Amino acid sequence: MRISVIKAYFKKEMKEMVREKLIIYLYVIPFLFILLFGYGIRMEVLNTRTLIIDNDQSKLSYEFASKFEHSKYFNTDVQTLSEQDAMKLIKQNKKDLIIIIEPGFQKLLAKGQKVHLGVFTDGSFPLRAKTIEGYAMGTIYDFFFEKFKHRLDMKGLITVNQRNLFNQAMRDEEMIIPGLIAFIYLVVPAMMAAFLVVREKEKGTIFNFYASPIKKEEYLLAKLIHIFFLQSFNVIILWLIAIYIFDLPFRGSFTLYFASSMIYLIISASIGLLASVITSTQIVAIILVAIVTVIPGFLYSGMIMPISSMGGEAYIVAHLYPVMYLTHLMHDVFLVGDGLNASQNVQYLLILIAYAMILFALSYLFLKKRLK
Amino acid sequence: MKAFMAVLGKELLEFMRLPGLVLLILYIFTIEIYVAGAGITLEARNISVGVVDYSPRVTSTKILNHLHMPHFQNPIHYTSQEKLFEDIKNKKIMVGIVFESDFEKKVYKEGGAKLNLLLDSTASAQAFLAQLYIQNILYDYQNAMDLSPIIIDNHKLFNPNAEFTYFMSITELLAIITLLSVLLSAAVFVNEKENGTWDLMLLMPVEPRTIILAKILSQVLIIMAGTIMAVGLVIFGIFDAPFNGSFTIFLLLTFFYTFTSAGIGLFIAAVSKTIMEVAQLATLIMMPMIFLSGAWTPVYAMHPVLEALSYVSPLRYYIEGSQSIFFRGTDIIDLWPYFLGVISIGSVLFWLGIRKIGKLF
Repeated sequence: MRISVIKAYFKKEMKEMVREKLIIYLYVIPFLFILLFGYGIRMEVLNTRTLIIDNDQSKLSYEFASKFEHSKYFNTDVQTLSEQDAMKLIKQNKKDLIIIIEPGFQKLLAKGQKVHLGVFTDGSFPLRAKTIEGYAMGTIYDFFFEKFKHRLDMKGLITVNQRNLFNQAMRDEEMIIPGLIAFIYLVVPAMMAAFLVVREKEKGTIFNFYASPIKKEEYLLAKLIHIFFLQSFNVIILWLIAIYIFDLPFRGSFTLYFASSMIYLIISASIGLLASVITSTQIVAIILVAIVTVIPGFLYSGMIMPISSMGGEAYIVAHLYPVMYLTHLMHDVFLVGDGLNASQNVQYLLILIAYAMILFALSYLFLKKRLK
Repeated sequence: MKAFMAVLGKELLEFMRLPGLVLLILYIFTIEIYVAGAGITLEARNISVGVVDYSPRVTSTKILNHLHMPHFQNPIHYTSQEKLFEDIKNKKIMVGIVFESDFEKKVYKEGGAKLNLLLDSTASAQAFLAQLYIQNILYDYQNAMDLSPIIIDNHKLFNPNAEFTYFMSITELLAIITLLSVLLSAAVFVNEKENGTWDLMLLMPVEPRTIILAKILSQVLIIMAGTIMAVGLVIFGIFDAPFNGSFTIFLLLTFFYTFTSAGIGLFIAAVSKTIMEVAQLATLIMMPMIFLSGAWTPVYAMHPVLEALSYVSPLRYYIEGSQSIFFRGTDIIDLWPYFLGVISIGSVLFWLGIRKIGKLF
């Protein structure tokens, strides 16, 4: 391995990067991603578009409706409509939740009889439907337990005393941003690296490599170091954005954050390099990288859905992609703060190192120093 | 017309000559969609529960019996709170429940019984659902003891069991259609630009518009074929999704949408010289488009700036439209906003793209 050769190649790549103005994208894309997704992804459901159909028009039904009107979770309209027209509003995607109060609501309750209450949610987005239904049921039960306190046998009532660990306010940002950082480390360097070899193949400049005495490992290392060097600034930039713009806590050690991010950069750059080595056209290389990074990075990382609640295939797939391990470490440094004291973190860190080595070795194996 | 068919044929032939690309596209439209649909759920499922029970374990056992699959795993008993806490930290346990020693007494004599809940809320959406489930289990338990004056009749319309499979596979399909139509159609132009054959194409005695439309149509056809395969084989074939609308209307909307997002590809191709630039621009445009389209977060729940931006994203109309066709079974007449949105954005993109790329100098 000759340092001077690597240095020369590194310089060449850097110059190309600047000349093609790619250096701008390199820093703009991560910045845009984190802002767009940080502000754009919301799992909590606020301002549910709610319609209460009040067929009773009594004092109690007014009070019931106003309970909904005063909640930040619901954006409530009270109307008298036929059930059919109401369903039409859901079909046109104008309402998410419809509650129907039957006539005789107040009277029956006053007599101590049980009353049915119809709650209809739009099930086309299941998570939202479940959450909305949960909110609605909670609000309804709250209202009635409060209202009929005097006549219930209150002793049997059990309340929940809840403590949220690691994310006290259950803010979406605290769940999404650490995952998002891992996502960016996966996608951006891989995309950049995907071009490095295959572009030379398409342009024909790969013959320089075939014909010159540079060794395979020198060639690959030069390309890798170049990506690694440019991306390492992003590690700091994203950290600052997370803490100062999104107000995330940082409970772990910066060293662990930095080290695991750097290891991860090697992994994702190697994924890109590997794709670049095994394909022969740029378009195939990009689509391949997009498939193995974008979708897994979003779905199998544990950023939005916890790995433990995934089913069969997806559970296995999630463990095959490296992104899940980094997401776990990111959650740890931002929210939990156990660092290397937890054996699981050490284990995951080692798995990441193994990935980096295997992926680099694979691209070394597949890179040929002659025409096929 | 003859020239149009010739260019169309040439592009399809070129596509078939790249076996790697053909295989990749087959894979994407089948296996990728299957895995996303079969395995991924946003739901809180299989939640691991740990319990520390200091009470005489009569009422507490009755309550714990309500925690079962598919939502909860069997509760694991711990002897001390510290151990439970340790396992929550290692992500082995997501929900911890602690019953105090006077729990039983309070339920039957004193009143004011409390169930202590410790939640790992790193995944806030699922933690929230877990909390709702437990809250509802308590309400149900109390209902069974005849405490509540009302009965709530819940109906989840269009998808009564809140199946994630249909939702996930369709959302995945729509994202894939976007991804491929932008990338493929940008590539057919930029490839020629890189090879220097684009200038030759423009010098031919054929209207540039004809060539451009033929090239785009070839990619649209490829994607439409993939879509039909994915819907037929995976979404209906394997998942047996319910379908409340008209399949023809869905194909029509997909056709217009694929054209529109190919228009984005055309526009990207017009302003970039190399495939590398295409990829950079495409990620810059597509990623926000896919994830901010309303598929994951309803548009009205986003930051107001992003909400305003989403009006110019064709995917927003396509996703809402497709969901309406698949699930809500919306009347055809009520689908016009989606068609209008997709077609008008597409027209603007084509107008811009053809002006820029259809000229030699």
